[in-house]
Amino acid sequence: MIDVLRLRRLSLASAQQWASSLAAACAFCAVAAGGELALPIAIAFPLALGFSVAFGDRVAGKYQWAWTAALVLAVVIELVLVVLGREDPVLAAAQFSVLLCMHRLWHRRNERDEYLLLLLSLLMVCAGAALSAELLFGVSFVAYAICATWALALTHLRFEVERRSEAPRRNVLAPSLLARLAALAVLGLAGTTLLFVGFPRMAFGGLRRHPAASRAVAGLSDQITLSGHGTIADDPRVVLRVQAAKDEDGMKLVGMHWRARSFDVWTGNGWRSRSDLGRRRVLSEAPPMRRDPDWRAKRADVQSFEVEAVAGFSDGVILTPEGWPVSAFFPHGFGGRAPRVFRTPSGDFLYTPLQASDVRYVVNVDRTMANHAELRGRGRDYPPEVAVDLVVPPNLDPRVQALSSRLTARKDPVDAAASVETWLSNALAYSRDLSGESQDPIGNFLFRTKKGHCELFSSAMVILLRAAGIPARNVTGYYGGTETDSGYVAIRAGDAHSWVEVYFPGAGFVPFDPTPSAGRGARTEGLWPRAVLAWDSLAQRWSRFVIDYDLVAQSRVLSSVGKGLSRIGDRLRGKQGAATAFQWALPAGIAAVLLAAGAFYAARRKRRAGTHGRTLSGDEARARSLWLAARHRLERSHVAVAPSAGVREAVERIALHVPRARGPVEKIAEAVLAARWGGRPLERREARALLESLDAALR
Amino acid sequence: MIPAAQSAVADPKARPKAKTRTPSWRRRLGFTRIGRWYVGFTIGVGLAAVNTGNNLLFLVLGLLLSSIIVSGILAESSIKGVEVQRRLPDMAIAGTPALVGFAVKNRKARSPSFSLEVRERGGDVSGNTFLVLLPPSATEEATYRFTPTRRGLHRLEQIEIVTRAPFGLFEKSKPMDASSELIVFPQKVAPPDLHSDRLMRQGDEGTSRIGVGQEVHSLRDHRPGEDVRAIHWRTSARIGRLIGIDREQERRRRICVVLDQRGLSGDSLERAVEDAAALFERELDQGGDVGLAISGETLPAASGPGHRAAGLTLLALLEVREGMSAPIPDPYASSLYVSGRR
Repeated sequence: MIDVLRLRRLSLASAQQWASSLAAACAFCAVAAGGELALPIAIAFPLALGFSVAFGDRVAGKYQWAWTAALVLAVVIELVLVVLGREDPVLAAAQFSVLLCMHRLWHRRNERDEYLLLLLSLLMVCAGAALSAELLFGVSFVAYAICATWALALTHLRFEVERRSEAPRRNVLAPSLLARLAALAVLGLAGTTLLFVGFPRMAFGGLRRHPAASRAVAGLSDQITLSGHGTIADDPRVVLRVQAAKDEDGMKLVGMHWRARSFDVWTGNGWRSRSDLGRRRVLSEAPPMRRDPDWRAKRADVQSFEVEAVAGFSDGVILTPEGWPVSAFFPHGFGGRAPRVFRTPSGDFLYTPLQASDVRYVVNVDRTMANHAELRGRGRDYPPEVAVDLVVPPNLDPRVQALSSRLTARKDPVDAAASVETWLSNALAYSRDLSGESQDPIGNFLFRTKKGHCELFSSAMVILLRAAGIPARNVTGYYGGTETDSGYVAIRAGDAHSWVEVYFPGAGFVPFDPTPSAGRGARTEGLWPRAVLAWDSLAQRWSRFVIDYDLVAQSRVLSSVGKGLSRIGDRLRGKQGAATAFQWALPAGIAAVLLAAGAFYAARRKRRAGTHGRTLSGDEARARSLWLAARHRLERSHVAVAPSAGVREAVERIALHVPRARGPVEKIAEAVLAARWGGRPLERREARALLESLDAALR
Repeated sequence: MIPAAQSAVADPKARPKAKTRTPSWRRRLGFTRIGRWYVGFTIGVGLAAVNTGNNLLFLVLGLLLSSIIVSGILAESSIKGVEVQRRLPDMAIAGTPALVGFAVKNRKARSPSFSLEVRERGGDVSGNTFLVLLPPSATEEATYRFTPTRRGLHRLEQIEIVTRAPFGLFEKSKPMDASSELIVFPQKVAPPDLHSDRLMRQGDEGTSRIGVGQEVHSLRDHRPGEDVRAIHWRTSARIGRLIGIDREQERRRRICVVLDQRGLSGDSLERAVEDAAALFERELDQGGDVGLAISGETLPAASGPGHRAAGLTLLALLEVREGMSAPIPDPYASSLYVSGRR
């Protein structure tokens, strides 16, 4: 609740300065949202803003020489960095605009300074639009739109009042003014939205900023380390947003495995990817560990998935759901450049170049999964390419070998794999606690602690199967996900998971997951995970409806609006089986609108008559018309009668300067006053005769 | 009370032809200095958005354009339904500030008007006043100070309601016909010294008739019902009965200020008019009946506020034309001749 009394003590100048400062702060947030601003500038601006609010009046106009020197130095530094290729020109311009704004915040003395400050804050917002596409920019932009509207309106009012010598008689900051400023801001935002949706989308290219190369990434490392101290954090940050390209009945995206990288080589303390198969193969080439050549002819349940990988969590890897990835493409490209997709010999899907922003792609996957019965009896004739997946650690604990033999003896490889998977899942417990430093993390996990995280489970299964002569490898990615209100499934960093792929001749690598199901996926309860998810949902909408809003989307929107209107029209016309009652709706609606308009017009006309609700009688109206006609005749004869002059006053003035018209005007005045206020009748003939006598006198 | 000094011009040739009425929908739109920068910036952002295809720049462009559109709509809302009536001062004198008032009425029932400037447009008078807020269905009075630099007829043509609300980017105005005229009296100066050979002053004198006056004409018996102030108490006490007084009728002195403006021009004409006005007012203040005799026109001697205004008006509108006749002084009055030399 706004304290009205406190508002009354707030002067117009203070309110204007606060609004301008807030607008500058929001503009700074918009330009800083991308995180590309140099740290000294990012720290200096909030400090400068705070000091200007506290001490601005005392330092305004002082130390100009220092500011000028600092700005010149900043220009020189930025130019040098740009010329040397160390800094992007857009970023350099953005940083310089921030410095200019800081300077203006400290020197606000007159109207020009205030408007310059608003202009510089607008420049910062434009710079932010070029630098960042984050949701934080959107939030800052909305806040800026509101604050800048207030600031601009209050700046105009303040200096209009100060330009006049007289102080206003009433308090300018009335609640009605503030309410109207708020409505103004809402109007501005609504107009912004409409114009954004409707403004034709066209791009002539040219000055397009290419995003910076990828920074150090997190989440998908190319090796796994099993030892360590502490506890694995349940990171609620969203790393993937997935949805089915078509609404498939019964397909649940929650609880799917999203494969990223495979790890074949045991390092003694963990795993790393293989590098022995030379160059990567382009997508069109089949990898050596290919499937049954007839698999396409047998069954093909190819489904498409739209995946949006959040910046920093993809590392050039295309994550694929369970099944055999057939193809992947990037519908929006990479800022005009075509991405290159390829598959490694071990089946990992990768792309180049790396991107610093979110990446969206569509992956087509053959969801045909061979069941255990189909995998049974395929034998153990393994190709040489999977030899690395049979390598057993050299100093394998004999207990591990014995356990492997016990679980897999005399069993078909698929049954052996299932047996190991089941045993691990039932016999051991899940824990996020790291096992600490250990010479034999697998042995430690299987026989001492008997609890561990998913990487230990998957590593143990791989070792146990390899010890039984069955090729297996470790795979990392994500598992789980949370459905959101926006129609996509959000997969978090805490959903990172590790499982196993086992090779079967003719079928390729088939996934197995030995981690107990209760230990898979991130924790979704709690305020913070829900807040993160809500923010991500907003970010996804922001990305979809604002960042990626292109000509196609625009034509879709306009087309849907047109279709909606057309549907309404059809229903009103009774077409397409609509109820006939709607046939009456249109004429009834038009009649109602006309009636309402007529009533409104009549009420307005009556209000403007100025008779306090009473209509004039015939004589009164005739008297009024007579007086107006007399005045008109006098004006035509260059005798000006001020509209504010009363009848008697007008007669005196006319008599003073046009004596010949005195008599007729006096008679007219007498007749008018008698009819208008005295209730005396005034015939039309009498009025005409009076006017004719006036005409004669004026001739 | 001195009546209002507005007047009509008797000579049609002195007045231009009546113009067509300005329609109420007429508007004028102009840029302010800030508005020019703002529009230039908007064009720049538009070009950048179209060039790069950056949707966020389109968002910024949308904000800028919607501000311009909203500004136009609200500016129109501010000046719509606003009526102004001009109130001229009762009297205006050259060189002396006068207050011209505006009664500004907001006819809108629900919407206030913000940041209104009301100013004169066209005509001989310039001035403006400002209203920060005009509530709905309210009337506010505002004034501006106007110092006429010359005497005579000042025409006021139109009143213009201007607003730069809400953002000060554009100036939207609504001109309204409000023709009026203001007669500015000659500048007040000290009355000139009168030379004795020019002065034929007659004071109030008796007329040997019974009437109203100070001097005693005769004594008589007091009549029943007569005002008791007419009783001569000393004589009544001496004689022993009530005695009444008859006073002698006095005649007010009669002055005629004579000004022959033929052959005068420029500063000398103005000095002569100012001197004539000063003498005219002085003699009126001293209780005489004063008339004016100028080339081509004569004002019979009289007194009173209306006569003062009539005389000053005559002097305010005084001009020199070819073929003017000599002034005709009042033969029954003492004449004061004004030469214009100081």
